[in-house]
Amino acid sequence: MKVKEYNIVIAGVGGQGVLTAANILGWAALRAGYKVRMGEVHGMSQRFGSVVSYVRFGEEVYGSMVPEGKGDVILGFEPVEALRYINHLRQGGMVVVNTKPIVPVQVSMGKARYPEIDEIKKIVEEDFRGKWIGFNAEELAIKAGHVVTTNTVLIGALTQIPEFPLDAEHVREVIRLSVPPKAVDMNMKAFDLGIEAAKEILGL
Amino acid sequence: MAKVTDMVLWDKPGEKVLLLGNQAIARGALEANIAVYAAYPGTPSSELTDTMAIVAKKAGVYMEYSTNEKVAFETALAAAWSGLRAMTAMKHVGLNVAADTFLSSVGMGVEGGFVIMVADDPSMWSSQNEQDTRVYAKFANVPVLEPSSPHEAKEMTKYAFELSEKFKHFVILRTTTRTSHARGDVVLGELPEEIKAGKRKFGKFKKDPNRFVDVPANARKFHPIILEKIEKIREEFNDMPFNWIEGDESAKVGIIAPGLAYAYVKEALHWLGVENVKVLKLGTPFPVPYGLLEKFMDGLEKVLIVEELEPVVEEQVKTWAYDRGLRIPIHGKDLVPRVYEMTTRRAVTAIAKFLGIDVPLDYRELDAKYNKALEIVPPRPPSLCPACPHRNSFYAIKKATRARGIYPSDIGCYTLGLLPPLNAVDTTVAMGGSIGIAHGLEIAQHGSLSEEQRKKEKKVIVATIGDSTFYHTGLPALANAIYNRSNVLIVVLDNLVTAMTGDQPNPSTGQTPHGMGKRIPIEDVAKAMGADFVEVVDPYDIKKTYEVMKKALEVEGVSVVVSRQVCALYKIGQMRRRGEKWPIYYVDEEACTGCKVCINAYGCPAIYWDEEKRQARIEPSMCWGCGGCAQICPFGAFKPVEEGEE
Repeated sequence: MKVKEYNIVIAGVGGQGVLTAANILGWAALRAGYKVRMGEVHGMSQRFGSVVSYVRFGEEVYGSMVPEGKGDVILGFEPVEALRYINHLRQGGMVVVNTKPIVPVQVSMGKARYPEIDEIKKIVEEDFRGKWIGFNAEELAIKAGHVVTTNTVLIGALTQIPEFPLDAEHVREVIRLSVPPKAVDMNMKAFDLGIEAAKEILGL
Repeated sequence: MAKVTDMVLWDKPGEKVLLLGNQAIARGALEANIAVYAAYPGTPSSELTDTMAIVAKKAGVYMEYSTNEKVAFETALAAAWSGLRAMTAMKHVGLNVAADTFLSSVGMGVEGGFVIMVADDPSMWSSQNEQDTRVYAKFANVPVLEPSSPHEAKEMTKYAFELSEKFKHFVILRTTTRTSHARGDVVLGELPEEIKAGKRKFGKFKKDPNRFVDVPANARKFHPIILEKIEKIREEFNDMPFNWIEGDESAKVGIIAPGLAYAYVKEALHWLGVENVKVLKLGTPFPVPYGLLEKFMDGLEKVLIVEELEPVVEEQVKTWAYDRGLRIPIHGKDLVPRVYEMTTRRAVTAIAKFLGIDVPLDYRELDAKYNKALEIVPPRPPSLCPACPHRNSFYAIKKATRARGIYPSDIGCYTLGLLPPLNAVDTTVAMGGSIGIAHGLEIAQHGSLSEEQRKKEKKVIVATIGDSTFYHTGLPALANAIYNRSNVLIVVLDNLVTAMTGDQPNPSTGQTPHGMGKRIPIEDVAKAMGADFVEVVDPYDIKKTYEVMKKALEVEGVSVVVSRQVCALYKIGQMRRRGEKWPIYYVDEEACTGCKVCINAYGCPAIYWDEEKRQARIEPSMCWGCGGCAQICPFGAFKPVEEGEE
């Protein structure tokens, strides 16, 4: 099933592997025969700041940024970061999110407040009419062998959302080819754990 | 997947690969048989240089990380004078550094193709200003090619060399963040035999003092030649492959879309479902080809120019229309914002207004919902990394000056010392500016004091500058401060790489991508220049660093402290690759009093506040094991996790 256009917004904190995840999805889309455009942020913003990456593919895609209100999915590596880019979500779009917070320094200093996960979920579901798939991906990554596989867990979960246009096994293959040889098994396990988590939440 | 750097050298014509815009440009340069490449890194141009660094040796290309854009420009220019195809790359503000050579040498032209890649950064994702390189190009009368996609970026690079050679003129390849840092499908072309064989190419400089010596008598001849060339190139652009007219030929309305704006315009028209529009896709925002423009404007009743930043195309089109007595409305910056980057939303909004139709999405409602959501989103600006040695340098500087100093700083990741809780950056202007500003501040603050009073006064102005920046443009400022008997402390935050742009080497690193190279220790330079106090410290030893800072502040004259410790991000990356582990710290709950010094004065991103227990905690996945927290905690609450312990 070919899609005309599919838009993924990946949001997280610098150092979490947002770019790596975007690249994997981009390659999977390219191998599936789609046109691909991706946009990302480099330089200073990567230093533990808020980071966003866009993956767009389809029969015809143009700009490298997902326009506001046109995102099919927001893949959040961190809960408030998912909310920071929520204006990109289309009505009925999906928010697949790791619920483990990374608390900004401003919050620790007492100059800002970190919201409850339920507050974030409520805004996504009620104001933005989005669907929320939230789970602690970091915990599953540690179970798979290392916290660095959090992004693989999330990609696994992403492949399970309804009408996701890329085949999970194709995505898995790209991950296998992308990660260092000795990290393959760990990532495969992380990918499976992500799939299971999403299936459970979606009741599949 | 295959490594990008391998793909850039793949001998597989026709293969479709996913490349970053900057990598696609590197491939284009190789397909064009480039011989010499020199650049100083600057986001968003850096990955072009980094890619060249990795492939150069295999491809027989001479490549260097130069110490600044001006010398990079000169290196490549001289190669182009010698008949070789040469390229330099920089970010928009880098062209300011190279501008002296650029504007003075343009009249001399070149023999081999010379391409200047300049990456603009609309919206300033990683920059200190938002200048439009096309304005510079117009000023210098140098043609600009502007791609609309990564694949086109590759193709244009190839064409840019041909164009440059044909007219013996400079060519600017201008990108913006969203082309340089966009990934897209790129179809590989043929690689020349010489590149495949990895054979280094050499040129020959033919002496011609009437051309290459910019004395007034010669320079006077250049300006008319430049103007003549640019008009010929304008002609050439009428039918170059990156300019075309598309859409409904009988349409009464037209849109001109230069460079990347074309992608947004296409997307907007598609989204709006508008068909009866004629589009001029312009790969050459300067000079605008009049012949093609004439053809495009024929029969149109109104026109919209959708371009990012300055009205460069708009002004050319309006001038052209006025000269021909064409009296139709020409819209541009009245509908498209002049500041910040182009987006689909901006294109959609401008086009909808231009055509008098509705926008497909209620942006007002979206904005209202979004603003409400943002109310609970805490800010997350970038920060100095965990274990960044220069958090300690700033901490020691603040302590030694009892936070009463003025702290001019410079361009690099250490500019983040600006943020709370460090608040250790008061000014940042441009590369190398910290030392000059420090000297100026010193004159302004203390120039009126007598010698005796001055001796009593402690130094209060402390400049910070990174190693790469020091060699980039810090050197002349240091010479000036020493020569004029300034009374400042200059702390060189030496982490032995150009960290902000991606760990490129510099004279303090010593290594080049090809192995050889000679290290130039910063302290030797400072001593040779005659600084009154020079010492090297390891900022991981906070107490010692603080003591040296204090000593340096007591000395009359220019003090230089080189605070040297390898970049933590670089070090951790290497350790990770080697599969090595590093110590992780934790908070001893018995010892932590909840004083918050670690959070309110030190600010390591790995340390957070446990609201329930009213104590500090360390996020283990973010701790890079420097132990700085253990040194600054008055209660010894931070301890390394022992082997086998949880």
